[in-house]
Amino acid sequence: MNKWLIPAVTVSLVLAGCSSVPRGSIPVVEGGTAVAGAQSGTPGSYGAPVTQPQALPEDSGVVVMVPGGGSSAPIQSFPATNAPLDTGTTSQPWSASAPATSQGGYVAPAPSGIPSGGLAMDEQLDGPVLALLTTAQQQQGGGDLNGAASSLERAQRIAPREPQVLYKLAEVRLAQGDAAQAEQFARRGLSYASGRPALQASLWNLIAQARERQGDAAGAAQAREQARVNL
Amino acid sequence: MRPWLGWAIKLGLVGLVVLAVFAVYLDAVVQEKFSGKRWTVPAKVYARPLELFVGQKLAKDDFLKELDALGYRRESTVAGPGGVSVAGNTIELHSRGFQFYESTEPSQRVRVRFSGDYVAGLTQAGGGNLAVARLEPLLIGGLYPAHQEDRVLIKLEQVPPYLVETLVAIEDREFFNHFGVSPKGIARAVWINATAGQLRQGGSTLTQQLVKNFYLTNERTLVRKATEAMMAVLLELHYDKKDILEAYLNEVFLGQDGQRAVHGFGLASQYFFSQPLSELKLDQVALLVGMVKGPTYYNPRRNPERALERRNLVLDVLAAQGVASVEEVDAAKQKPLGITRRGSLADSSFPAFLDLVKRQLREDYQEQDLTEEGLRIFTSFDPIMQLKAESALAGTLKRLSGRKGVDQVEAGMVVTSPESGEVQAIIGSRQPRFAGFNRALDAVRPIGSLIKPAIYLTALERPSQYTLTSLLEDQPFSIKGQDGQVWRPQNYDRKAHGTIYLYQGLVNSYNLSTAKLGLEIGVPEVLKTLNRLGVEQEWPAYPSMLLGAGGLSPMSVASMYQTLANGGFNTPLRGIRAVLTAEGEPLKRYPYQIQQRFDSGAIYLLQNAMQRTMSEGTGRSVYSQLPRSLALAGKTGTSNDSRDSWFAGFSQDVLAVVWLGRDDNGPTPLTGATGALQVWTDFMRQADPLPLDMPVPDNVVLAWVDASSGQGTDPSCPNAVQMPYIRGSQPVAGPACGIQAPVNEVMDWVRGWLD
Repeated sequence: MNKWLIPAVTVSLVLAGCSSVPRGSIPVVEGGTAVAGAQSGTPGSYGAPVTQPQALPEDSGVVVMVPGGGSSAPIQSFPATNAPLDTGTTSQPWSASAPATSQGGYVAPAPSGIPSGGLAMDEQLDGPVLALLTTAQQQQGGGDLNGAASSLERAQRIAPREPQVLYKLAEVRLAQGDAAQAEQFARRGLSYASGRPALQASLWNLIAQARERQGDAAGAAQAREQARVNL
Repeated sequence: MRPWLGWAIKLGLVGLVVLAVFAVYLDAVVQEKFSGKRWTVPAKVYARPLELFVGQKLAKDDFLKELDALGYRRESTVAGPGGVSVAGNTIELHSRGFQFYESTEPSQRVRVRFSGDYVAGLTQAGGGNLAVARLEPLLIGGLYPAHQEDRVLIKLEQVPPYLVETLVAIEDREFFNHFGVSPKGIARAVWINATAGQLRQGGSTLTQQLVKNFYLTNERTLVRKATEAMMAVLLELHYDKKDILEAYLNEVFLGQDGQRAVHGFGLASQYFFSQPLSELKLDQVALLVGMVKGPTYYNPRRNPERALERRNLVLDVLAAQGVASVEEVDAAKQKPLGITRRGSLADSSFPAFLDLVKRQLREDYQEQDLTEEGLRIFTSFDPIMQLKAESALAGTLKRLSGRKGVDQVEAGMVVTSPESGEVQAIIGSRQPRFAGFNRALDAVRPIGSLIKPAIYLTALERPSQYTLTSLLEDQPFSIKGQDGQVWRPQNYDRKAHGTIYLYQGLVNSYNLSTAKLGLEIGVPEVLKTLNRLGVEQEWPAYPSMLLGAGGLSPMSVASMYQTLANGGFNTPLRGIRAVLTAEGEPLKRYPYQIQQRFDSGAIYLLQNAMQRTMSEGTGRSVYSQLPRSLALAGKTGTSNDSRDSWFAGFSQDVLAVVWLGRDDNGPTPLTGATGALQVWTDFMRQADPLPLDMPVPDNVVLAWVDASSGQGTDPSCPNAVQMPYIRGSQPVAGPACGIQAPVNEVMDWVRGWLD
């Protein structure tokens, strides 16, 4: 069976890719600015004010995960944010990074491990989620799909609004043969992936695969079209 | 002489044969039970493990409460697993490690630093940062068979220092030397019984005690005594001392907990100290061993003085026999009994939640598997949330108790996490400790206005017809139903409110405009929406359904509101995460499942209106206790004559449904707002949730409208309010008002602050 080989190979490819590509050359998506701008432009008398922490914790070198797509999807290298270079972290994409908070004064906590502030930060995964995605990836690589799903649900409980977790969850569901749930989780991921075109494209591609598995060729084609639009 | 002797020999031979046959039979009995599965072990139900990571919302006090419940010892420096030391905002602990479904959590030393109500630092003892760690989960109950025996099986290697020595010293000094029966012990017993003229003392060895508990009934006759002795010898013939001792440690009866018999040192340790057996210290070991003689008589919860005396007597024996040094014994004697308080988190029972777990398990397992196989059930139960819910209910009912009729009011409550569909807490009665009618699951009561979001959602799904600012007529009307009866709805305040915006009908829970809207859309359409939201009941399409004549349980309401809270994604509520076998092998997982049932745009608009319910409508009293910055959405519900007081609402991460009402369906003095909402508010105050923050869907635009006319306007104009619309349904923007552009921006900014 080479089904489980796909993610494994992909991971190793991604690992290799990340370790060889100089950090500066990783494509950067400035997904945050536009949306953040739109949000700051809504100061009106909207009945239910949704407060957002003003001061975001300064982040030191958070390494961004790359959704290792076990798929034939065209995009495989998911763009990472430009991590600050001062930390001297390794180029290993899975290393759990230490949030700035370990250096004393704790500023504006990021609840649930996921910043509720500007979307700019969403691209960055912090410690627990990254660690659990790594574990899940290992379990998936070892063929333990149930274990991987369980670890991903753990990550989802910690960071329920992180689309990359939902993406991975969808991917594992697909590998488990539950294409319907895979599509649902990818759709849920899309609802949190606003302003992140590359991730949106990956999610649409996953939806396309899930629809194909369900025998919905037209729907799959539509989803692929969406994936292209979002790129 | 000779014939007599002959007969005697013959009889003796026959007797010997009979005895031999009996021995062979006993031998079979002894081996059969001892070599097979010795005990049936009830399934164990665990709460969710507490996750630790930087940025986690967790109050230090709640964390300590959980550690106390898990039986962590407060120490000045952490000495080993199960130890914790507190220094200001930093808590250091040595976790015990645990086998979970997908992985094993190691036992490790962890330092947790708190800042406000958040975890600000998580490091290993060595100093390295730790991304995430889990505590072992709290054991919240078991699924007992009819004979109600419970056990936590232990191996001899898990036994703490002194336990075996103490047991042998107190119960059977010759244990390691005898062959099942102790002639010395018997001689002593015979002497004592003979002088007393009655059966007072048995010279039982540990092996005999085991045989008695394991194979025989509790009667005290000589025949049984002889059988017991024979079996003890046979047992010793086949098995070594280690096996026998291990069996004894697991079998011995150490107490009665209501219906449940506490067997074995493993469970006794959990039951009395909330600690794993391996962590017990000399004084605790002495107490448990001392109790073997009379578990009821020396019950440390009921008879603490006796138990203390007995413990110290045991300790003295240890010193006298040289098992422990005099200094150790003296130190141990200084310690209090150290028994956990009943009713604290550790010893609480949560019957309503266990009831839910049992029902879900019975769909997948045979009763026998549940009560005998020692399955480990991992649930989503959150003891911290449960205690907060219980405290909110008790506190509110106490505060309301001045009102006539509140004493008869019963309660049901369900708390879930809308982002995972997991049930975190359940209250089935105003006395949550008592098992019985589980109102959270079984009280099916008219939901009143809780149904209204379904009506408005049905409307908002048709943006070409309805927006939040569509106009509705709140006027009296009547219609004739199919059965010929005339239906004439009324507002709660018995007034009509004229022409209103659509959202105001929901926010103020007006019956007239809402019923009219529902009739416009069609009752069957509304019922369809309810089904899509997750309501399984099939109701007749009567107009009265529009005002909540249909009944639901609090659990079903939670399932319905879950879909509203989770962006239109329905998820079957779950209480169980996974099941492991007794050996720790994964057996079954209950995965998180979702299904998009509604356009996220329509849900966004509805959530907006439900937030207004809290900020300016029927739920506004919530902000007399909670900060305005905490965005919440919810709905009150009151059935006719205030027979049912409902509130269902959610934040970003917590959803709670509260029902108050009488079991006999009599009227109460409480509306949804004055009853259930008060419980809900107090609960939310304690739960300290995250503000609701649904991302704006792609098909939603925010437009400026004039609050008085509903027409499109410009942010520079007076009375301009921002409302969300499905793209294309928003009113055309109006021209800017008077002042020049730069000033407008300043005005916007000022307005933003003011609102």
